[in-house]
Amino acid sequence: MLLLDSKTKKKLYDRLVSIVGEEHVTQQETDRVLNAHDCWPLSEAKIRAGELLPLADMIVFPASSEEVSQILIVANDLEIPVIPVGGGAGTCGGTLAIYGGIQLDLKRMVKIFEIDHESMTVKVEAGVMGIDLEEEVNRHGYTMGHTPTSLRASNVGGFIATRSGGSLSSLYGKIEDLTLGLQVVLPNGSIVECKSVPRHSVGPDLRQLFIGSEGVLGIITEATLRLFLIPEERRFRSFSFPDVHSGLEAIRNIFRIEITPSIVRLYDPEDAAMAFSMHFEFEEGHCMLLLGFDGDVAQNDIDENKAVKICSDYGGTDHGEAPAKRWWDHRYNMYYPSRLTTSGFAIGDTIDIVATYDKLENVYHAMKEAMEAHDVVVMSHFSHMYQNGGSIYMIFFSSQPDAETAWATYRKVWDDGVAACLREGGTMSHQHGVGLTRSTYTEDELGSSFQVLKLIKEVLDPKGIMNPGKLGLGVRK
Amino acid sequence: MIFDDSLATQIRMCAACPKMCRHVCPTFFAWRSDAPTPHGRALLIHQEITGSREIDERGIEILYQCLECSHCLTFCIPEIDIATIVELRRKEIVSEGRRPEGLNDMAKAIEKYHNPYSELHESRNDWLELKKSGGKNLLYFTGCTAAYREKEIASDTVELLESLGHEVSISSEEWCCGSPLIRTGDAEFGLELAQHNIEMLNASEAEEIIVTCPGCYRVLTRDYPDYDLKLNKPVKHISQVLEEQIDNLPVDKFEGSITFHDSCHLGRHCDIYDEPRKVIEKVSGAPLVEMERTRDNAMCCGNGAGLRTLFPEKAKKIGAERVRQAKNTGANFLVTSCPFCKNMLKSQSGEDLTVLDLPEMVLMAKRGRKANID
Repeated sequence: MLLLDSKTKKKLYDRLVSIVGEEHVTQQETDRVLNAHDCWPLSEAKIRAGELLPLADMIVFPASSEEVSQILIVANDLEIPVIPVGGGAGTCGGTLAIYGGIQLDLKRMVKIFEIDHESMTVKVEAGVMGIDLEEEVNRHGYTMGHTPTSLRASNVGGFIATRSGGSLSSLYGKIEDLTLGLQVVLPNGSIVECKSVPRHSVGPDLRQLFIGSEGVLGIITEATLRLFLIPEERRFRSFSFPDVHSGLEAIRNIFRIEITPSIVRLYDPEDAAMAFSMHFEFEEGHCMLLLGFDGDVAQNDIDENKAVKICSDYGGTDHGEAPAKRWWDHRYNMYYPSRLTTSGFAIGDTIDIVATYDKLENVYHAMKEAMEAHDVVVMSHFSHMYQNGGSIYMIFFSSQPDAETAWATYRKVWDDGVAACLREGGTMSHQHGVGLTRSTYTEDELGSSFQVLKLIKEVLDPKGIMNPGKLGLGVRK
Repeated sequence: MIFDDSLATQIRMCAACPKMCRHVCPTFFAWRSDAPTPHGRALLIHQEITGSREIDERGIEILYQCLECSHCLTFCIPEIDIATIVELRRKEIVSEGRRPEGLNDMAKAIEKYHNPYSELHESRNDWLELKKSGGKNLLYFTGCTAAYREKEIASDTVELLESLGHEVSISSEEWCCGSPLIRTGDAEFGLELAQHNIEMLNASEAEEIIVTCPGCYRVLTRDYPDYDLKLNKPVKHISQVLEEQIDNLPVDKFEGSITFHDSCHLGRHCDIYDEPRKVIEKVSGAPLVEMERTRDNAMCCGNGAGLRTLFPEKAKKIGAERVRQAKNTGANFLVTSCPFCKNMLKSQSGEDLTVLDLPEMVLMAKRGRKANID
């Protein structure tokens, strides 16, 4: 960690106080400890083990884009790292201040502007929590269509900065599909607006440059997001399949005839046993497919009937609505800590890869083999499925006798899992982002296009102050 | 170590949880930082247990920013009771002599005046006007807030109980129940008050003890037994008494709809949700309009566990938010069943929402007086 000398620190503190007021800047160690971590499983495991995480030098809580701008001008002037923090709910360590500096926390920026009913959009500040936004638009008959498991803790800025996705993304899309307008503050303090339009043909889509930028190019301060009418019904259906292949074929053929369920989740035999065998009877070693359909009754009748026929054609056994509905009703439960998953030096994580159908099954088998070689439990489900492919949640769990072995095993599983994914033509993240977990793999993942990202970074952030060490950029010795 | 292995495991789990309850924590709402949150408080204590970091003065401040409202528990599948854990650590802080100064002042006031408001003990029952004798003898344990700050609740309660055929007695020897001390970690002084009150209550010839304050109710029914102090007669909250006599309650039409605020001590801590609702619906002859966050998901009013004493502006911010939630229902009346909640909510309500405690609401119906001409 680079330590700020006391003179620079004082200068920085005084200038931040002059921008946001004393109440909204803190140098207290306790605040820095409590605000340090996001929900990266490695950070959580280290916290449980009593380890201390890297700390920022101070935390600032701005209330407006203008204040964000002034803070970045100061940081740029003093060449101090700035780590944007949203809800602190990310799973990749993206908000850890590994080189110290300022954590710029957006939680005070919570305005929800008036809903545009005509255009079906809503403009919000970056600090609005997902659950607060969803509840607010629900009051007006809409849904965001964006339901990540972290919905209660994550916020809009974090959604956009990590290209997040929710469990209904097959129908509604991911945040990059849901964001129409964007306001970003650049490291030099410029407040940049990307106009809210459904489509355009005016050069590259600059919104997309910042969506998924993880704070390395600037700070997202406002967004205009799409809205959907709350569907008349959400209907559930479940099928078991003898193997992953037949289940995947059923999914592929459902999308092929342009049926778009909101929920499509295929649990491999290990994950199906873990998630459903306690509650439902199905053949041992089989997979479980969950389907959800959002819409009006008549349309859902049509879509469901066609999907049911396809599932039967591919050897599926019908289990009715119960498994899928149970998953929906309890979808947040798996995210809570349990005694089993938090005992000793236990650690688990998810490598949420994505690939096209021609590669997806190979990626699955290759990753499973590579990860299991480290004597960890691996269970997986295919979710966030689309017409051309989809994501796999490669979940692993390890329990080791000491911290050193635990953290080393964790890293080896990641290294070999991602290597297998890339070798088979997959992409290493669908929705969780890069953060610290995947930072070192970014160059391999992006290949020849990594130089473009690097050049953009050099132009927008010549002093390298923005979230150094993340997204494979700004790694310091 | 004050935390046994079982509690230490719970604290460890909470400290590294992906923040599944933070969205309902009122102090997260007030400060918008990860410090004054359930997992923040758990992390402070966890680091102390593991020996990786001591709790400094700022840490103590964060532990004292907890309202002990237990709203987090509603969203906690592993059922980690962080409010109780915080209270246990507060006890140690008090015995270490590190309690925040504002609470030392409160403790001194209680020692000198037997109430936290620094009001003369002799004036505790100034509001009292007993009229009736005969009927079931009920001892009304008034509580400091009703006795000194919400006297109408106290006098309305007596009038109401008398009108229902009871003989009400009040003791000049009632002292603070100890709730403000026990909740902020001063269990030792809390015990002294408990011993005094137990003696007075057990000597009374009344058949039942009635309270209007849920803080008193929790202390008398939960904390006193934890101290091994036994009351020789039942304790009832006013909402329970009124519900028992629901057919004898007055009925009158209220001009506008009514919403209800659940006090944390009555609801989440003592599981009393239905009684006040039944009473309100009977008396008004109309269904309640519930707030979005209600029953075990009700937001705290911001007044509890020392927050208003130490951080009044943040407490008011929380109270104002609860009032906003009440106004969102379109209700004209916000009824609660707690003098302390009523006091906070009324201070933030403005002109367009009438805030009443349950006995006031029932008596209003009895008198046939509408709020706008009251």
